[in-house]
Amino acid sequence: MSSTLTREINIEQRQDHLCGYFQAMASPCEVLIDIAESSDISPRHSLWDEAYKLVSAIAEEAWRIEDKYSRYRDDNIIYEINHARGRRVEIDSETFELLNLANTCYELSQGRFDITSGILGKVWQFDGSDNLPSQSVIDACLACIGWHHVTLNEKYIHLLPGFALDLGGIGKEYAVDKCIQIARQQLPDFSVLINFGGDISVTQPRKTLPYWQVGIEHPNPEEQTQMLVKIAQGGLATSGDAKRYLLKDGVRYGHVLSPHTGYPVMDAPRSVTVAGENCTQAGLLATLALLQGAGAESFLKDQKITHWCLR
Amino acid sequence: MQLDNSSTNIAASLALATCTLLGSTPALANESVDNEWRFDTAILYYGETDRVSLVEGVISATKDFGDDHIFNGKLTYDGLTGASATGAVPQDTVQTFSRPSGHGGYAVAAGELPLDDTFRDSRVQLNAQWTQPLGDNLRGSAGVHASKEYDYLSLGMNGSLAQDFDQKNTTLSLGLSYQFDQIDPVGGTPERLGVMPIPTYIGDDYDDDHNDDYDDDHDDDHDNAYPDRNGTQNKDTVDVLLGLTQIINRRTIMQLNYGVSVSDGYLNDPYKLVSVVNDLGQTQQTLFESRPDQRTKHNVYWQTKYAMDSGVFDISYRYATDDWDITSHTLESRLRFNITDNSYLQPHIRIYQQTAAEFYQPFILDDSPLPTFASADYRLGEMDAYTVGLKYGQQLDNGDAWAVRMEYYQQNPKNAGFDEPGQLADLDLYPSVKAMMVQFNYQF
Amino acid sequence: MKKINKLLCIGLLASQAIGCASLGVQPWERDLLAKEEMALNAEGVDLGLDDHIYFSKEATSGGRAFAGGGCGCN
Repeated sequence: MSSTLTREINIEQRQDHLCGYFQAMASPCEVLIDIAESSDISPRHSLWDEAYKLVSAIAEEAWRIEDKYSRYRDDNIIYEINHARGRRVEIDSETFELLNLANTCYELSQGRFDITSGILGKVWQFDGSDNLPSQSVIDACLACIGWHHVTLNEKYIHLLPGFALDLGGIGKEYAVDKCIQIARQQLPDFSVLINFGGDISVTQPRKTLPYWQVGIEHPNPEEQTQMLVKIAQGGLATSGDAKRYLLKDGVRYGHVLSPHTGYPVMDAPRSVTVAGENCTQAGLLATLALLQGAGAESFLKDQKITHWCLR
Repeated sequence: MQLDNSSTNIAASLALATCTLLGSTPALANESVDNEWRFDTAILYYGETDRVSLVEGVISATKDFGDDHIFNGKLTYDGLTGASATGAVPQDTVQTFSRPSGHGGYAVAAGELPLDDTFRDSRVQLNAQWTQPLGDNLRGSAGVHASKEYDYLSLGMNGSLAQDFDQKNTTLSLGLSYQFDQIDPVGGTPERLGVMPIPTYIGDDYDDDHNDDYDDDHDDDHDNAYPDRNGTQNKDTVDVLLGLTQIINRRTIMQLNYGVSVSDGYLNDPYKLVSVVNDLGQTQQTLFESRPDQRTKHNVYWQTKYAMDSGVFDISYRYATDDWDITSHTLESRLRFNITDNSYLQPHIRIYQQTAAEFYQPFILDDSPLPTFASADYRLGEMDAYTVGLKYGQQLDNGDAWAVRMEYYQQNPKNAGFDEPGQLADLDLYPSVKAMMVQFNYQF
Repeated sequence: MKKINKLLCIGLLASQAIGCASLGVQPWERDLLAKEEMALNAEGVDLGLDDHIYFSKEATSGGRAFAGGGCGCN
């Protein structure tokens, strides 16, 4: 899939900001740079060059993270870890920190958030039909799931044979936050917004306007238009996909899977959007809320953070 | 990986955790996966007191080409030096024997067991094995091997199928192998129970170190001393192996195998001798041994592995019998203690017992009729043996592992019920063989 | 009487079959068995070297795998 997408960057001037966009991690990615002074149709050379440099750096970082942690490549650390056949694999500090974060989420969620559960995604096809996988297939998957079987330290990770890691739930949000750091470094005086397919972060409030207004795919698939989100600063992430589900005997099976049972979490909201300090934290909170099933809203209320749930 | 049940503010914990993540050092260059081959190497030193020494090195390489399509290649080299027992009996006087090449001979001191130290043997072996799934619960494997030493060639192929049942708790397997061996004895093939000629001189000769022989003069050496002898001899071996593997419970797995092996062809050891003695135990002549040209073996092998909290207990038993009347029992056990997360200590013990072949006799009495088959090779006689060993291994942070092991092996040949006439009663006809093994492994 | 014998035989066979069916584990109980040191062919290089030595010093060979020798030492 990613091989047919070209890695190109485009920049254009919009009404009150510059917009750079490219494709990464199977999503449209945009970088919005606030132009403090009022609009000027002709590109301002120095700012234009700075913007181009920033968007290039951000795109390079997004592609670097995609190449390093994508499950669809056979030449990266994830492939090596998932094909180690029970041997230890040496990891660098970035990988350790990411996996350590996954470990923290595992503990905070009482085991519901488990990055070894990705293999369940292979047997559940959420196409709106009534094809549920058989119990024996689910049992076979469950034999290779369980973060408590993983040994992780700063030097290496050790998985049992048959286990595989899936960083799909963290990767994009992590990329957003790493790119926001680049934006803060390179353009410290400007408000920059990064939006990777709905996972958003903003460096600082805009100078002349109170917030950025950005359109993201509406969580409710019945809505044709995009949902407009107002964000001044911090991270925003949405978890869930209302379009992916199975319907059998009048019971709706959402696509958030439990690593304990191998079945979808029952009564989970169709999507959760959270505003947080950074995009990774917001994304993980949204995912943890979904994993609570019926208790999603009360979980988010207890955390005292801004959120929206769609049922 | 502990689960935390306290109701801390998760948002705050995550904010902290993500800041740690984002504050971490800048990313390093992507490490590409350059080596999907796994290597297992070992070097072994085996030494018997006053007898044979062996150095053997192995390199085994394995690669999974995806979806459990696995290739394994193995290269083995071994070098043998030292002296082995010929089967002739000791005497209370000096004895002389011909070297296998027929050129020259060697002397054995009074009271000593005759050992022939002619051999400095090198061998190279190559194995290749391919395994792949053939269906949801069916696996197939096929392989070939070739082995060469100066007087021996071995070629073989094998194939097997394994079928899983009951969620892979049970596996049934069937294997078949065929092996062709060819021996080109130094000095040619001796006549069965033919008389060994008295050597005309003792000492080293340009022919004694056979390596020189074969380097200089491959083709016509054989005929020099024994022009009437035949050259190469062949043997065919077919093996069938039936196996059942069963998971008993979460900690226990068992295996039960039944194997049949049929060998046909030249099964003698052309370098082994049998002494003919009179009623005073004095050697009258020395003959070359003779074994049947067919052998059918059966064996049953049962193994259990038990997973302890920090280690593994492994125990196995093998019962074997054949139509040469040899019956053997082997009991072997290994106990692995994981002393830390990445190191272990493993003691090992092996106990072995065999009965004598029907045609085994430590010597022939000169007033008895000559039997059709006779061998005094102690390895076909009645014998007890035991091995005790210890292994220590460590896994390194980069995924490599090394190990060292030391074993002590002692064989105690026994008298299978033969009266010892005359001077033989005062000589040790069944000396023990004591050996030490040291081995070093490295995996990467 | 014959019928009772037949039933007894079937009953015995059935109980044996059921007895066998209770052996084994569920897929998620294979954590310990999946460890490298629990594989039946673990330490293959060591076992191969040992087999070669015992094949050349004793009269019996094989059991675990094929009995082939491939060398002139026996």
